[in-house]
Amino acid sequence: MSMPHAVPATSGPLLTIENLSKRFGPLMVLDDVSLTVAEREVIAIIGPSGSGKSTLLRCVNRLEEPASGRVMLGDVEVTARGAKLNAIRRDIGLVFQNFNLYPHLKARDNVSLALRKVIGLSREAARLQAEAALTAVGLEMKFDAYPGELSGGQQQRVGIARAMALNPRLMMFDEPTSALDPELVAGVLGVIKDMKARGMTMLVVTHEMGFAREVADRVIFMDRGKIVEQGHPSRIFGQPESPRLREFLASVLGR
Amino acid sequence: MQEFAHYFFNMPVMMLALPQLLQGLLVTVQMGVLVVVLGIGLGLLLAVVRSFRFAPVNVLIVIFVDVFRAIPALVVLMLIYFALPSVGVTLPPFASAVVTLALVLAAFAEEIIWAGITAVDKGQWEAARSTGLGPLQTLFYVVLFQAIRMVIPPLTNRAIAVTKNTAIASAVSVQEMLNVASSQQAIYANPTPLTLAALLYLALFVPFTILSRLLERRYRWGR
Ligand SMILES: Nc1ncnc2c1ncn2[C@@H]1O[C@H](COP(=O)(O)OP(=O)(O)OP(=O)(O)O)[C@@H](O)[C@H]1O
Ligand SMILES: [Mg+2]
Repeated sequence: MSMPHAVPATSGPLLTIENLSKRFGPLMVLDDVSLTVAEREVIAIIGPSGSGKSTLLRCVNRLEEPASGRVMLGDVEVTARGAKLNAIRRDIGLVFQNFNLYPHLKARDNVSLALRKVIGLSREAARLQAEAALTAVGLEMKFDAYPGELSGGQQQRVGIARAMALNPRLMMFDEPTSALDPELVAGVLGVIKDMKARGMTMLVVTHEMGFAREVADRVIFMDRGKIVEQGHPSRIFGQPESPRLREFLASVLGR
Repeated sequence: MQEFAHYFFNMPVMMLALPQLLQGLLVTVQMGVLVVVLGIGLGLLLAVVRSFRFAPVNVLIVIFVDVFRAIPALVVLMLIYFALPSVGVTLPPFASAVVTLALVLAAFAEEIIWAGITAVDKGQWEAARSTGLGPLQTLFYVVLFQAIRMVIPPLTNRAIAVTKNTAIASAVSVQEMLNVASSQQAIYANPTPLTLAALLYLALFVPFTILSRLLERRYRWGR
């Protein structure tokens, strides 16, 4: 079963971020950030704590209002006044560090809620689609489990299924494995790799350098609200140019 | 000891007073049910409206809440029963008492439910909004259930406290249980009917305290 996207396909880049800025009081959290993401591209965003990685993702679907700049999804301007945000957000999946599952709903209903209330599928069609999405992330045994009955890794996979069930154009992950016990990380990263294999365009904020190196087509290094350096993972990790990136890699990789 | 029994547990008086008291109990129960349904319903509605965060409306809601939490219910009842007719609104005693207590309960319920809504993790709103749900949908399908579950204990306590106040309706001569008991006491020149009323109040409200404990347990889930 495949649903139409809210935002039609285009030949150009899937996501265009132009001169995006965001401040919290005096603090410049995003400072004139521009970024273009091609269809099927997988981008890893790395950088020290507080550099604005989460804020960047949250400005893309306008959970956070940027102060200035533009965000385009295909030919649709997300930042336009009067943009149909609820329709656009269907097409931009977001996966949270701490899952944010609905604790009062079973796994199946966590996934099917938006299918019914946003897309307007019937109860039965939404159930089937939710179960398919949960099966795709390896949770075919857990349809009826409440979030509190699942491990962190399973909860995060429900979070991924909840976003994926809406058949988005773009998936964004904000440190999807940071809250997980080490032995559960691989399973969730495996799901993300599967999604890459199926051609999903993704922005992944991550502290897993091995994953960024292996899976990303491009690595973005952010510091103090700016994109300081970007490039192919082998270049970013092999020949970092800016001192700040070198410093950052030295601290996270312990070299 | 015998004297004590004669005045407070006088069996013949009890038997004589019981039928009337049960009539009074019925009136008390009717008032209680109406007060709880209307009061919590209105409180919930106000809390939902408040979550639109439309400043002028919210100021009015906060004023309503503070006023009805501050004024004693009996004073509100006097105002509604004795003062409203002078502006052309006349309510019978029973309705006056129900409206009074419903407004008081609504004020407390709004405050309690609103506190529950604001206590729900911000991430719940963000997750729901990120899938395209609108603010009202998010409130109804995601937030409200969690908010109410959190506030069931204080809400039940408050509902019991306000509903017990149905006794103030005797001040405008509604034939509820306390009123019946005190006139029976005068008739028999013996306070036993009041003892009986106390026992009936106990029988009426203890089940609710137990129910509230059960509800608390029922709405708990693993985290
Ligand atoms: N709602 C907010 N109000 C005020 N300041 C905020 C808010 N959200 C984020 N910030 C600040 O903005 C800066 C960037 O935050 P952001 O969460 O985007 O960083 P990050 O790169 O995701 O960091 P981390 O790796 O720790 O998640 C931080 O200094 C943070 O304190
Ligand atoms: Mg972050």
